[in-house]
Amino acid sequence: MKFLILAGVFLLLYFAPVNAPIVTTSLGAGLALLQEYARRHVLSCLVPAFFIAGTIAVFVKKDAVIRLLGPETKKTVAYPVASVSGGILAVCSCTILPLFTGIYKRGAGIGPAVAFLFTGPAINVTAILLTGSVIGWDFAVSRLIAAMIISVIAGLIMAFVFRGRDQKNAANGFATGLQDDVPYSNSAIVIFFILQLAILVLFGISIQPLVKAVFIILAMSGVLAMGFLKFKKEHNLEWISETWSLTKKILPYLFVGIFVAGLIEVAVPESVVTRLVGENTLPANIAASLFGTLMYFATLTEVPIIQKLMALGMGRGPALTLFLTGNSLSLPSILVLLKIMGVKQTGVYILCIVILSASAGLLFGALG
Amino acid sequence: MTIKVLGSGCVNCRTLEQRTREALEQMNVQANIEKVQDLDCIVSYGVLRTPGLLVDEKVVWQGGVPTVEKIKELIAAERERTSAA
Repeated sequence: MKFLILAGVFLLLYFAPVNAPIVTTSLGAGLALLQEYARRHVLSCLVPAFFIAGTIAVFVKKDAVIRLLGPETKKTVAYPVASVSGGILAVCSCTILPLFTGIYKRGAGIGPAVAFLFTGPAINVTAILLTGSVIGWDFAVSRLIAAMIISVIAGLIMAFVFRGRDQKNAANGFATGLQDDVPYSNSAIVIFFILQLAILVLFGISIQPLVKAVFIILAMSGVLAMGFLKFKKEHNLEWISETWSLTKKILPYLFVGIFVAGLIEVAVPESVVTRLVGENTLPANIAASLFGTLMYFATLTEVPIIQKLMALGMGRGPALTLFLTGNSLSLPSILVLLKIMGVKQTGVYILCIVILSASAGLLFGALG
Repeated sequence: MTIKVLGSGCVNCRTLEQRTREALEQMNVQANIEKVQDLDCIVSYGVLRTPGLLVDEKVVWQGGVPTVEKIKELIAAERERTSAA
């Protein structure tokens, strides 16, 4: 296997038309986009965003949230909680499927499980913050809200269509809380969270540089002070190590994604993009929706790719549609879902998501 | 002693498996390490946040990757409990 890869790389290098203009310009474009991200988004957006994600991973009382998705919870509580909890419980997509399976088979049932499954990857903090920083805050907010609304509607549809088949879930075996939640008051955690968010927002807004610097330093010292005075050393260390492990997990993929996005700009003809998804029409939104459903985007890579597709003429509506389906569904995740839910339920779920996302994109494109 | 590492196969689960091996080696304890990747099976143990760690079918940890030291503690505690019973 290794030999085949090596031989393949060798052949590629041997025969590749390295000096052809299409190759040099696309490589150049890839590098240029990497530099743009390195200069404009890494320090001011990604680094604070990873710290925030680390905070969520360590300080948010997850067992309390999961308990709200248990079998005894009222549906009126379970749906809204499921639609927002993705952003709190899961920062990486591989944690979503086990939780989804748990909610589906042992917890609140298929509706809330589906709502969680859809919003989990779509509303993670780092993705929303990077979307805002790179593409615009109108996009980031619309992405967040549309994902939450769609998830509840899709969940309700699934629960209705399959109402007879929803298993009676046993009350035992759900959310056995083994790790103690952190022993701090909610307000302390919220302030800690807001201070970090403030740093990120301050980096983004355009005010006098001096004022900006002063406020950023104030917020940073606030974060440090809370760390030293309020929280225990072990939790601070955990916060740093969680932040670091997230960074390690996500950044390499993101950089590859940015590079690929740079290539797309040169390699994909503009006419193809404008013809397929240029206008905010129903076919364009459905096309974007289907593309996002099948295509796998590693966490955050959807941002540079959609950014470049928009530079090539993709409309705002189809772009939002792609944001909605891009992370939530992919061919690999569909295969796992088929195993958990079976063909019928998976089919209805995909259909719901494709149609609802396309409609949301259509609406967004028509308004903006 | 049988130890199971529950996880869908991402980085965290592999790290947990590797650290568990290290912990066992340091403790000089012989044990079978089994990896459980089937989601149905993972959930049937009540583990919702992967990775999870089972010692003799009892869930001792879930929802994160503990340090080698912590894993040693968990295994030691579980052994003590079963030998006392």
